[in-house]
Formats: sequence, structure tokens, C-alpha cells
Amino acid sequence: MGTLQTRRWYLIPGLVFLIGIDLVPLIYSVGVSLFNWWLVRPQEIRFLGLGNYLALVGDPTFRRAVVVTGVFTVGSVLVELLAGLALALLFAQPFSFLRPIRAVLLLPLFVVPVVGATMWRLILHPDMGVVNYYLNVLGLGQPAWLGEPTLAMIAIVLVDAWRTIPFMFLVIHAGLETLPAELYEAARVDGASWLQSFRFITVPLLTYVILLAVLIRGMDAFREFDIIFVLTGGGPGTATETIQLLNYRIFGLGHMGTANAVGIVTLVLVALMCFLLIRAILRPR
Amino acid sequence: MRTRRLLTILALLPVLAWTLFPLYWILTASFKTELSLYAKPPQWVFGPILENYKRVLFNIPFFEYLWNSTLIAMGTTVGSLVLGTLAGYGFSRVKFRGSEALRFLVLLTRMVPRMTLVVPYYLMMLKIGMLDTYTGLVIAYISFALPFSIWLLIGFFDDVPIEVEEAAMVDGCTPLGTLIRVVIPIAAPGLAVAAIFAFLVSWNEFLFALILSGPASKTLPVVIAGLTTDLGPLYGEMSAAAVMVMLPNVVMTLVMQRYVVRGLTLGAVKG
Repeated sequence: MGTLQTRRWYLIPGLVFLIGIDLVPLIYSVGVSLFNWWLVRPQEIRFLGLGNYLALVGDPTFRRAVVVTGVFTVGSVLVELLAGLALALLFAQPFSFLRPIRAVLLLPLFVVPVVGATMWRLILHPDMGVVNYYLNVLGLGQPAWLGEPTLAMIAIVLVDAWRTIPFMFLVIHAGLETLPAELYEAARVDGASWLQSFRFITVPLLTYVILLAVLIRGMDAFREFDIIFVLTGGGPGTATETIQLLNYRIFGLGHMGTANAVGIVTLVLVALMCFLLIRAILRPR
Repeated sequence: MRTRRLLTILALLPVLAWTLFPLYWILTASFKTELSLYAKPPQWVFGPILENYKRVLFNIPFFEYLWNSTLIAMGTTVGSLVLGTLAGYGFSRVKFRGSEALRFLVLLTRMVPRMTLVVPYYLMMLKIGMLDTYTGLVIAYISFALPFSIWLLIGFFDDVPIEVEEAAMVDGCTPLGTLIRVVIPIAAPGLAVAAIFAFLVSWNEFLFALILSGPASKTLPVVIAGLTTDLGPLYGEMSAAAVMVMLPNVVMTLVMQRYVVRGLTLGAVKG
């Protein structure tokens, strides 16, 4: 039917819009990143070539931010994966009361990120927080959750986990439901223990789903901004300053060349991570 | 089986506590006086007050911010629905060389970190004088919501039988008329889900709002994060504002329970 083909024109507005809003700023960003461009002194814009990028490589603050981002990303994805997997296995049981509970467990995913972080700020407050009160009662002191470097990192990982464990849970849960029950039946007949059928059936068949979830969450964690900004603002000092928060700070200081360079480097790092994970997903097994 | 049931319930209790406690705590905090907010031991039972809500509603221009957030979210919803319907329908009905690749390209645009986009976007908006406008934010948010809308709608349009369209065409409907009068009513649930997701993308967004908005377009997440004085954050007001901002999210989540799994696996590919 010839007229059906005319519908390809329906694609144009959306695609043009997406490419325009994503690609044009990116190209512009690459351009700006080659200049020394301080908003405060607009008359002194100078071409630097790769100067901003080279400066970043040698900058200890930036290198530190890369490490902080790595620790946060790996830490939160790992916590979320383990918790999500455990939950999904728990929900892979034939109990009818699990269904309504599943709906309740999804709630954190839909909470405005800034609001979620605000809640935890209240709970983790060193003096008035409910966590510290009971820790103190138990004789464990009153740790400054957001004021001490290691604890602050743990805190942002946990708050991120609170928000996104439901996501990991959902994806793995959906994956588990597609596994054929006959396999488990056969394994049981052959005398396999629960642990053995987990190790030799569940894990291999779930690998694809898990890698996909790790890919999505890993990319999100790498770019996390809202939670860290509200909870610690990158502090104490620069202990939780990820690349995104550093980029925000440089932007705030008005150094447009450097801010754009950091942005482009982030994009390259995310693309690299994405590429490696997708290759792992598509690798034939 | 009975012990297993009991063990499952026991294992679920800490999970439920972990999930629900923060929500419970902020809800109660919003009804506490400053005194009971800081009380030791923490007060689980207290006389609720509405002071915090009154202060948020009337001491700051809350309704103005609510208006900003709502208008921007509506604009995002309408924009991404129009563009998403056209593109989703196009992808669903027309197959050509590279159309699969193009679909993935659409999804890939969500890989770009928002921080990377917002810096050049700020400079461009500065140049054309569109900082602190609704339009500036709406355009950005449509681009965040659109990839998901397109992917979701492709699935819904795939479920509309082509024979229905052919019948409409035979009866003299134009292609666009067929889409509007025949296809869209059938795929309406899909459009509703896409609308809710787009609304939430805009409603929740923080970074772009933080950087691009000013007095004329400040949205609620930015307001909540900024409820601080020299003496520290205003936790009572913060909690009250947070509870109010959360309301649409809770309502909409309940409305679309069924589509949550499908939505999130795609929707999570965000910037």
C-alpha cells in the first residue's frame, strides 16, 4: 500500500527535535571546550586547542573526582544488584501476599529524587536524626553521617540504593519469570540442591538480564547529581565530589571552557562504559 | 510450606521498614512542631499541627512555584505526546533500511549526561535571551521524555491491527485523519502512560531547573532544595513542601501500576 510509506514523514519532527536538542549543544560544547572562556571576562576569550583537556589530565581535583565517581558507581550498583537479586529470589515464591507488597516496594522509584534525598537528610542528621538517636542509645556514638568522608560516601550510596533497589528488583524479577519451570523440576528430580540449581540454572540464564540492569543503573549512577547535591553537595571538602558535581562547581565559577571540557570527557567515559558493557552483553555464551 | 511462608514474611519485614520508613518519617515530620522535630527521644506519637504547611504555602510564593512546575510539566507532556505519537506511529508502520538502527539511536540520545548538555544549553539560552523562561525548560524536558514516549508508543501502535486503518482509508479517511480518528482512540491507554511518564520527567527534574530557571520559572524541586536559612535547613517547611510535591507522583504511580515494569526498563535509560 503506497500511502503507508508516506508515514515515514511522521518520523521527521521527532527526530529533528531530538537531534537538534542533543547534537547541536554537543557540537557547540566541543567548540567552547577549546577556548579559555571565563564568563566574568568576556573580552578575554582565547583559543587554547586541547589546553583545557590537558589541564584536566594533570589536575588532582579532576583525577580525584574520577576516583570518587568510580567508587560511587561501583559501590551503589553492587549494593543495588545484590539487594535486588536477593529480593527477586524472595519474590520468586508462589505466595499470593507477595503481589501487593511488590507494589509497595516500588514506591521509592517514583519519589522526586530531591525529596528522597531531603528525607534522608532529616533521618541522618547528626544531632536530631532518628538513626543517630538509636545508635547513641545502643552506645555506638553519633557519627556525622554527612560530615565525615567515608561515612558520607556510604550515605550517598545507601540513599541511591534506597531509590533504585526497586529498579534492580523489577528487572531481575521480570527476568526470573521468563525462566522455564521445567528446568528446575528436572534438576530437582536429578537430586540437585537449591544452591546447585541457583548456581547452574538461575545464574547463567539471568546473566543477560543482570548485565542489562547493570548497564542502565551503571550509566545512571555515573551521572547521578540530585541526590549527592542535596545530601552532601560534594562535601565534606571534596570527599563526595563526583565528576558531575565538579562540573557544576566549575560551571558556577564561570569557567565555560573547562566546564564544557569536563562535560565532553564525561560523555566519552559514559560511552566507553556503555560500549564495554554492551559488548559483554552481546558476547555469545 | 508453612515455615517457608513464615520465613518469607520475616525476611520481608526489614525490607518493608527500609522502604517505607523514610516516607513515613517525612510525612510525620511535616506535621511536627519544631520542638517535637528536634525532640529526644524521637517522637513517634505527637499532636499534629499544620504550621509547616501554612508557612510553606503563605510565607513563600509557593503557588507561583506550583504554577511554574505544573505549566512546564504540562508543556512537556503535550509536546512529547505530539512528537512521540507521530514518530512512534511512523516507526510502527513503516519499515525501511536502517529503521531499526534509527530506533536505537533514539534510545541512545538518553545516554548523554545531562550535565554535559546543560552547560552548552545554558550558553545558548543566554545568547538568545531565553534563560529563566518556561519554553527553555520545556524544550529540554521534551527531549528527555521523547525517547521513552516513542519506544512505548511503538509497542502500542504495533497492537493496532492494520486492517482497521485500511477500512478507514477505504471509507475516505486521509492518513492523518485515520491516525487521529481511528488509531489514537485504540492506542489511548498507551498515550495515557506516555503522558504520565512525561509529566513525571518534568515534575522531578532538578539539574536543568537549578541552572536555567530564575525568579520567573523556578520549579518545586529547586525550591525544596533551597529551603535553607543562615541557621540551617528549615526541616519542617522542607518536609511539608516535599510531601505536597510527592502527591502527584504517588497518585500517578497507583494509576499505572500495570505498566510499571515495561516503563521502567526503558524509562531508566534517562539522562
